[in-house]
Amino acid sequence: MLQGIQLVKSARGQKIIDNVDVQLEPGQISVIIGPSGSGKTTLIKLLALLEKPDSGKIVIDDHQYQFPAERNELPPWPEITVVFQQLFLWPHLTLLQNIKLPLMLRSKWHRSVERRASVAPTSNASTTNVQPVEQRRLDDLIELFDMQSFVQRYPNEASLGQRQRAALVRALVLQPRYLLLDEITSSLDVEQISIILSYLKRLSKKGIGVLIVTHLLNFAREAADRVIFMDAGRIIESGGREVLDSPSQERVKKFLSVIESAS
Amino acid sequence: MYVSGGNDEHIIGRRIGGALRDDCRKTQSNAGIMSVFDILITYQSAFANGLLTTFQLALMIWLIGLTGGSLLGSIGARWKIFVGIPSRVISFTLSGVPILVFLFWLHYPLQQLLGVVIDPFITAALTLSIINVFAVADVIRGVLLDFPSQYIIAGKVCGMTSSQILVHIQLPIVLRQTVPVLLMIQVNMLQATLFASLISVNEIFRVAQQINSHIYKPVEVYTALGLLFLAICLPLNGLALWLKAKFTRDFSER
Ligand SMILES: Nc1ncnc2c1ncn2[C@@H]1O[C@H](COP(=O)(O)OP(=O)(O)OP(=O)(O)O)[C@@H](O)[C@H]1O
Ligand SMILES: [Mg+2]
Repeated sequence: MLQGIQLVKSARGQKIIDNVDVQLEPGQISVIIGPSGSGKTTLIKLLALLEKPDSGKIVIDDHQYQFPAERNELPPWPEITVVFQQLFLWPHLTLLQNIKLPLMLRSKWHRSVERRASVAPTSNASTTNVQPVEQRRLDDLIELFDMQSFVQRYPNEASLGQRQRAALVRALVLQPRYLLLDEITSSLDVEQISIILSYLKRLSKKGIGVLIVTHLLNFAREAADRVIFMDAGRIIESGGREVLDSPSQERVKKFLSVIESAS
Repeated sequence: MYVSGGNDEHIIGRRIGGALRDDCRKTQSNAGIMSVFDILITYQSAFANGLLTTFQLALMIWLIGLTGGSLLGSIGARWKIFVGIPSRVISFTLSGVPILVFLFWLHYPLQQLLGVVIDPFITAALTLSIINVFAVADVIRGVLLDFPSQYIIAGKVCGMTSSQILVHIQLPIVLRQTVPVLLMIQVNMLQATLFASLISVNEIFRVAQQINSHIYKPVEVYTALGLLFLAICLPLNGLALWLKAKFTRDFSER
């Protein structure tokens, strides 16, 4: 279980995360909805231990990280991993190289592990350093997201939607246990979104915990096991999928009706 | 101390071997109508010997400077207080000391102080390497510190260690950005090898001095030297441009 307990984070004298408790179960998809600037990205960075909260506690399975921290403990990346709003693809590598680099480096460490698995050569057999099992998983993902035509491009030669898929696949091939996705569907078409949606559902059935920030109500309705509303650094309402249709808070009702009418 | 070339043919002959002596004999017959190119042709073996020494010197300085500087720059970016700031202070000080003075000081007073005698070639190579190391480190540390943190964060969440991030993300991006600057520094270092003549390393400038002290045609001799350097530095600058075009892609996203 991934858990944030009484998280507080200030920036420039202002609380941008204000006493937030949040819980992400393995095998569940949680969706965060909230207006711009409400602290969604910040919360994800705290949960992924990329930024330190001023106070509070992060629990990742049986590991506890208490803040303010008295010692520096290395977070369990990429067991918990993030796909960021701005994607952060490395500009000097092609999309495919972006996806493969972390895999190859990890294989170097754990070369012995999946060694015996043997797989027939695939379309992307150019690589030598990725283990066959991972190579096949990668090929499957590239095919699933229809990426063959552009994986050889550099990030600045690819469209935003293409980059979003590449960044997503870069995280997916690492098989994280907790996957945090920050608004990564903004430039994808309906078909791509539904492909991602069903893939994420499959992942969560395998016991992966998924957290998604999105503005797409339909996406949330389809995917969410839990829904979390954020506003001004606080969680103002949370609950099951039904919260989307009958929120108790006025603020949430208003926000939902606005994005409903916009889409 | 033997500063600048002696005008005694005996000394010249001893210093750069038979080459210059033979060359000199040839010229004495047709002195007077000697042009720049005549000088280059007449003294070609002497120039070649000098160039060889200059290249050996430059190669050492480049290799030590680029590897040592990248290393020192990377370490300095990581341990800002213990390595970064001292190396910044040293490079700041070094940049304020004329290379000539630094070289002389390391050659004569320091070695006398320590009671050692080091081959002038090695002294020159080390002195200029030190300068190069700190100049390169300065550039590398600067861009590493300005490095966009999001690329590092992306590496972290993908499970890469900080040394993997340094090697596979930071350095490649940084080197691409810095290739033009680093090459410019290396061309400057090549030109700084001329100062090695001060401590009587028989590199190209000292050869030119010796030839001049023999035939007293400073304009022609140093023009010849200039042409030689132009012939070497122009391709290097061309290489810099080519590398820049090849490796520094426009990273900005649409
Ligand atoms: N490093 C920082 N320094 C100062 N303020 C910050 C910093 N990072 C975030 N903030 C502020 O914290 C608030 C929450 O930011 P955050 O990026 O988490 O919002 P968000 O919910 O992700 O918004 P969006 O939907 O636009 O992505 C914003 O008001 C933002 O200006
Ligand atoms: Mg955000």
